[in-house]
Amino acid sequence: MEPKLFHIFRNTPLGRETLLQSVYFCKTVGADMEIYLPEHTKFLMYFENDVVQIDLDPSYLTAPETARDHAGALAEAGKIRYDFLAPKHFTASTLPDIPTHFDFMCCPRSISDLSSKIGLGYIGPRVRRIVQSARFPVLLTSSVFKPWKSIAVFFGGSTNAVKSLKLGFRLARITGMPLKIYTQMENYSRADYEKVIADHGLEKAVADEVAEWRLFGTGDLEANLYEVDHDALVILGAFGHGVVRDVLFGSKMEKIQSAMPNNLLIVGPKYAAIH
Amino acid sequence: MKFANLWRKPTRWAVFRIDDRPLLMGIGLIVGICSGLAALALNRSLEAMFEWLHHYRHYWWAFILPGAGAALSSLFLDKVAKEGAGHGVPEVIYSVSRYGGLLRFRSAWSRLVSSCLTIGSGGSAGPEAPVVMSGAAIGSNIARYFSLNDRQRVVIVGCGAAGAISSIFNAPIAGLVFTVEVVLGEWTAVNIVPIAIAAVAGTEVSRILNGNQIAFSHPGFHIDLPDIAACIGLAVVTAAASVLLTRALRSMHHISAKVPAAPWARAMIGGCAVGLIGFALPVVMGEGYHSIREIITNSFEGGVAIVAVATLAKVLATSLTLGWGGSGGIFAPCLVVGSLAGLAYHRFLVLLMPSVDWVAEGCFALLGMAGLVSGILQAPLTGIFLIVEITGGYGVILPLILVSAISTTLCHYVEPASFYLKDLVERGHLLRPGTDARVLSDLSVNELLETDCITVSPNMSLRDFIDVIKRSHRNHFPVADEETGRFLGMIQLQDIRPYLFDPVMYDAVILEQIMDPRPDVVHPNEDLSEVLRRMDARRLFSMPVVADRKFLGMISKATLLDQYRKELRVQTVVSG
Repeated sequence: MEPKLFHIFRNTPLGRETLLQSVYFCKTVGADMEIYLPEHTKFLMYFENDVVQIDLDPSYLTAPETARDHAGALAEAGKIRYDFLAPKHFTASTLPDIPTHFDFMCCPRSISDLSSKIGLGYIGPRVRRIVQSARFPVLLTSSVFKPWKSIAVFFGGSTNAVKSLKLGFRLARITGMPLKIYTQMENYSRADYEKVIADHGLEKAVADEVAEWRLFGTGDLEANLYEVDHDALVILGAFGHGVVRDVLFGSKMEKIQSAMPNNLLIVGPKYAAIH
Repeated sequence: MKFANLWRKPTRWAVFRIDDRPLLMGIGLIVGICSGLAALALNRSLEAMFEWLHHYRHYWWAFILPGAGAALSSLFLDKVAKEGAGHGVPEVIYSVSRYGGLLRFRSAWSRLVSSCLTIGSGGSAGPEAPVVMSGAAIGSNIARYFSLNDRQRVVIVGCGAAGAISSIFNAPIAGLVFTVEVVLGEWTAVNIVPIAIAAVAGTEVSRILNGNQIAFSHPGFHIDLPDIAACIGLAVVTAAASVLLTRALRSMHHISAKVPAAPWARAMIGGCAVGLIGFALPVVMGEGYHSIREIITNSFEGGVAIVAVATLAKVLATSLTLGWGGSGGIFAPCLVVGSLAGLAYHRFLVLLMPSVDWVAEGCFALLGMAGLVSGILQAPLTGIFLIVEITGGYGVILPLILVSAISTTLCHYVEPASFYLKDLVERGHLLRPGTDARVLSDLSVNELLETDCITVSPNMSLRDFIDVIKRSHRNHFPVADEETGRFLGMIQLQDIRPYLFDPVMYDAVILEQIMDPRPDVVHPNEDLSEVLRRMDARRLFSMPVVADRKFLGMISKATLLDQYRKELRVQTVVSG
């Protein structure tokens, strides 16, 4: 079976852009799409050891009578295989349970924010919970549809970073796009990062398949992000530390996504990487 | 970091790998204390709110108070907690039966606040179901913190529910029995011990902070044979009241859903209606425990007609409160309706047969409560033990058993599912442990897929097909378009039997002519219980699995039942 991407459709111009991103992603990586047309502003996702409630803002319920046609037309135009997801189970009458067996999920940045705002600059705790619990990577799209031409992996040496690197290899092989690695060196040397890669048996793959590995020894992260291609799909691992640490020291994932307009693919700790 | 990980995953400790019962007992104790405190917090908040609003009850506009409370409660749930209305017990049962007891953290506090607003302002509802929801959510989230598996989490959710009920009623056995009988639906030693510990912990919390109070103490009753015989009639009355209350709640819900108003406005309408009823019959207001005490101590005034009207009014007020969007449970209203029904029945008997030396009317009120709880929850043991514990004695145990058993049985005939389970049963979402649907819900079509089938082309001749058969050990062959891979139909060995002994036909027949172009197919997302039902109904032994018009494999009854057996073994071994 082909991999599947789960997309929540919003029948608005912004939702159209997001769906176009998902369609492009599916077409590029050879995935099918499962589109959900919400009938309620909230739904639940039951993961292995967590249940996450997603609160959508009311714009997700805009013009339900045309939503199916609009979403279908965009998917047809992208020539991808798609299906509409109809929830089979409901925790409460207005609270559907959405399955979690997908291979990717498109999470527009706005669903994560306060329900009344379209906050494209903030991921928020809800999406983090999905990233933390999901076995699939989460695609955070930019606000306007933009095809990507290369794949950029942010590699910081953590377990999740290794998973994101493996995902980068996988997508680079499927799409044939060049793969670049970016590392913000923090008290470690290049040899340390190479050791992590060698420990995970990725030495040869890095040597053969990586077009460029940029290591930033100086400058802060935000400034160095300018070096990343504007038309790259950025893959990064979510570090997965707690809310308290995020509040005190800030989240790196949050910094990257607020500074970069690129499409992001976030890999969480439960993601089972296939190399 | 490693220590933190180890601390959060105690199931990996060597001592708990072999036997996790001490771990569950320890966590059950913590959960029992937490849920007991939550129940106590709601109790104290309700008392404070009653006290505060008491001074305003005599004003003409006081009928608005329950409306305002219900509206605020609805707004709170909708805008702040972002949860639906209702008492939450079906949600707990649903989560236990389908998702290993996973509950949102917000459920640990949302129903406490919303039910406090509804009940404290005078709405006719009870605090017990909200504390069950709260306790269960506390248990679920503590279990999640310690990374417990589904089976362990379900037990801890049960601990939360038991601790809450035990604390609010000061009744540990009722908490234990309610949890096992209603929430989990499974009596196993592994479950019972941690839940019993949580029930004790919840009760102790209540006793330390609230004192060892018997909710409805009574002077003692002397029961004779005529009273026992009259209990049969009382059981019929309470069963009828149970069915009436169940149906009134559901019909009110349907009626209110048709009103074109915001949920908070509907809750306000229902609450104001309760306020208006409360002017004439104050017994309908709030949780109603004060009225029960009056009834049990034989100090409730009014003739049989007044009491009967009060019974119906309480049913109506509860339906208006909960059916129109207020927040709270039906436990306390059941006790009030049951005690009123018992009282009305007793006064009717006295009127009918004044020469008989009947037991005091408080006794029939107690029995009525047990009948109502047993009938509406279809949980006789809960009804019996709850009344025994909240009245502080076993003096009425024999008629209690009689009324509870008959009421449950009669209700089951009229309403096969209890109030808590009715919606779940209708939606097919109730998966009790050990049932086919529960076992199969842990398996998926993809897990049972047999992919060793040889796909053939529609243009293949029978001669070539016979060669294919020689290479295959299967009787089923999917037919797919060579270019697009589109699934076109199925061929089974028996389909070619008529041509098999006629070699002339070998080159004359192609598979498109003999295939079944419309076989029953299975979608990979289909529930296995539904697949099995279709196989049984159509007498099929295997079916092709097709998605996006592509053949994925076969699913056979033999493999399904084989996996079913393995899964059943896993589920029963770990829980037994």
